[in-house]
Amino acid sequence: MSKVKVLLVDDEVEFASTLAERLQIRGYEAKAVFCAESALDMVRSEPPDVVLLDLKMPGMNGVEVLRTIKKLSPSCQVILLTGHGSEQSAAEWAADGAADYAIKPSEIETLVAKINRANEKRLK
Amino acid sequence: MQKEERHTGLVQKFIARYRNLILSDASSVSATPLSKDRYKSLKIRIFLVIGTLAGVPLVMITILSYLSLQGAFKEDFNNQMRGNIESTRQSVEFFIDERISALRFLAAANTYAQLSDERVLQDLFIKFKREFGEVVDLGVINSDGIQASYAGPYSLQGKDYSNQDWFHEVVIRGVYVSDVFMGYRKIPHFAIAVKKEVPERGTFWILRATIDMATLNRYVSIANLKSRDDAFIINHQGILQTQSRYHGNVLEKIAIEAPRPSEEVILSEVRQNGSTPLILGYTSIKKSPWILGMTVASTAQSKLLDLLTRDMVSAYLAVFLVFLGIIANIKFSSALVNWIREAELEREEAIAQSQHSGKLASIGRLGAGVAHEINNPLAIINEKAGLMKDILLMSTDAHINKEKFIGLIQAISDSVTRCKAITQRLLGFARRMDVRHEEIDLNDTIREVIEFLDKEILYRNISLETRLKEDLPRIISDKGQLQQVFLNIINNAIDAVEDGGQIMVSTELRNHDRIRVSIKDNGQGIAKEKIKNIFEPFYTTKEKGKGTGLGLSITYGIVDRLGGSIQVESEVSVGTTFHVELPVRAEAQ
Repeated sequence: MSKVKVLLVDDEVEFASTLAERLQIRGYEAKAVFCAESALDMVRSEPPDVVLLDLKMPGMNGVEVLRTIKKLSPSCQVILLTGHGSEQSAAEWAADGAADYAIKPSEIETLVAKINRANEKRLK
Repeated sequence: MQKEERHTGLVQKFIARYRNLILSDASSVSATPLSKDRYKSLKIRIFLVIGTLAGVPLVMITILSYLSLQGAFKEDFNNQMRGNIESTRQSVEFFIDERISALRFLAAANTYAQLSDERVLQDLFIKFKREFGEVVDLGVINSDGIQASYAGPYSLQGKDYSNQDWFHEVVIRGVYVSDVFMGYRKIPHFAIAVKKEVPERGTFWILRATIDMATLNRYVSIANLKSRDDAFIINHQGILQTQSRYHGNVLEKIAIEAPRPSEEVILSEVRQNGSTPLILGYTSIKKSPWILGMTVASTAQSKLLDLLTRDMVSAYLAVFLVFLGIIANIKFSSALVNWIREAELEREEAIAQSQHSGKLASIGRLGAGVAHEINNPLAIINEKAGLMKDILLMSTDAHINKEKFIGLIQAISDSVTRCKAITQRLLGFARRMDVRHEEIDLNDTIREVIEFLDKEILYRNISLETRLKEDLPRIISDKGQLQQVFLNIINNAIDAVEDGGQIMVSTELRNHDRIRVSIKDNGQGIAKEKIKNIFEPFYTTKEKGKGTGLGLSITYGIVDRLGGSIQVESEVSVGTTFHVELPVRAEAQ
């Protein structure tokens, strides 16, 4: 079984790269990009299995990016990273194609579980 | 929405009037000594206005009714005097007529021959005296003017009257009443003479009686006179015919200007030298050479005043009512001013309340932003610490990863510093409004504020230039509050400019004791007619929901409390400059 390909999208470089490194330690093929454009490029060139997408980045709308990713690669599972969440916004994000969401900062175990669950969902 | 704007406009206008009060004393709701004076002068003004409104008509009505009463009273007074004179004249005329008729009767009933007989005449004289009294003598004069017979105290038999005026007069007129003269026993008398024609012989004779003036005096003094009034009879030459109380003795020239003969009753005012004016009434007495005169010492006006002052009850009542009116006015003015004061206090409380809630709202908005900003460094800390844990769990030899660990720990420390800076700013904003004096470097304060806004400036590509004059004296002021002031003004500048706009913050020393901070932007500017409103509470030019309209009013209040001042220069579509001047040493206000 090949490694699960995870793409991290966050403007906080330190956060994204450190998290990618931790995921690599845990056996994921994780890559970090720091803006939406690079993320979309990546989705086009080598579609990842799971995308961890920060909802709030300067100069772009996270939900727009989510929709674009789902359009480019419908099988791609997107987990939204957000400062705050609610049942209502979760339902809206799900309608836009998000697989799940995680509240920043969250424990690595929680994230890993969410990534695995999303990947299983993709494989079904 | 339009309605709401209009409502806001009204509130602003209302508040504009009291802006000084509000802004000079925004945090305190108790009245200052200055405003106490203001209420006192307001009370006095209301008292005066009400007093004038009530008093002027009252005084006018009083004057008008006094004048009309005076007119009526004067007429009444004059009529009374006229009537008095008229009735006295009638009495006197009746008296004279009666005696003339009696003499005529005697002359008609007797012949010359009969009356020439002393004894017959003496008999008639006694009877006449019994009927009419006060007759001094009775005499018959023939057509040559010679006394033919005489009954009385003198011996006038044979006296020749042919050259005397009265004789000529009685011959022409048929009847004659003489002036008063001093006669028997030095008592004033007057004479009445009637002519008896004897047509069959073509001749005539005259019957003459002398009458004591005391009789007439009684009639004159019957005129119901008060102590300072006078009544008298004078002849056409102004010689008193009766005794006068004030104007001279009998047969003397009258002391006042002599009245002229007149058929009618004439009333006039005469002035004696130096004394009070007199009302003089006079009229001629028919069939006599006399004029009846009457003087009343008091004029109609003085009589009216006498009457009014005599009525002390009404006077007391009037004074009492005026007093009552003044008391009511004072009470009403006080109550009115108290209502105004209460309303103002309520309004001040409401303003303080809304300023407070406005502040809370800003804190809420700021808080949300801050929380979001804190989240990112927290996430970094989380991952760095997690990675360290991962490495420690997987490796048995920590030394291999020393460099890596130091890097991770440094990143954690940096993130903590980031969080700390954010929380410090938040605490600075949330600090209470009390003025705290500390020594601060204004340039540093401004730099810190700008740091806080760095991110937005960066995102919107705004160029923020600072020209901070170095070596400024440190000032004694409240750092937290000054930060709030500059944060507010610079925030407004950021809101005012387009993306990519320019803002310049500069400091300079003025007059050695004041520092001027200027915040200049090249935004849309403020229209001239709006500049005067910008420091008013609830005034905002920002979009609905973007501003509370309290920022600049709070700013103004803070600067004022710190002993500073704010000026604004602005030109539409050129830009706006705010100048904040602060004293180097803030006077506690």
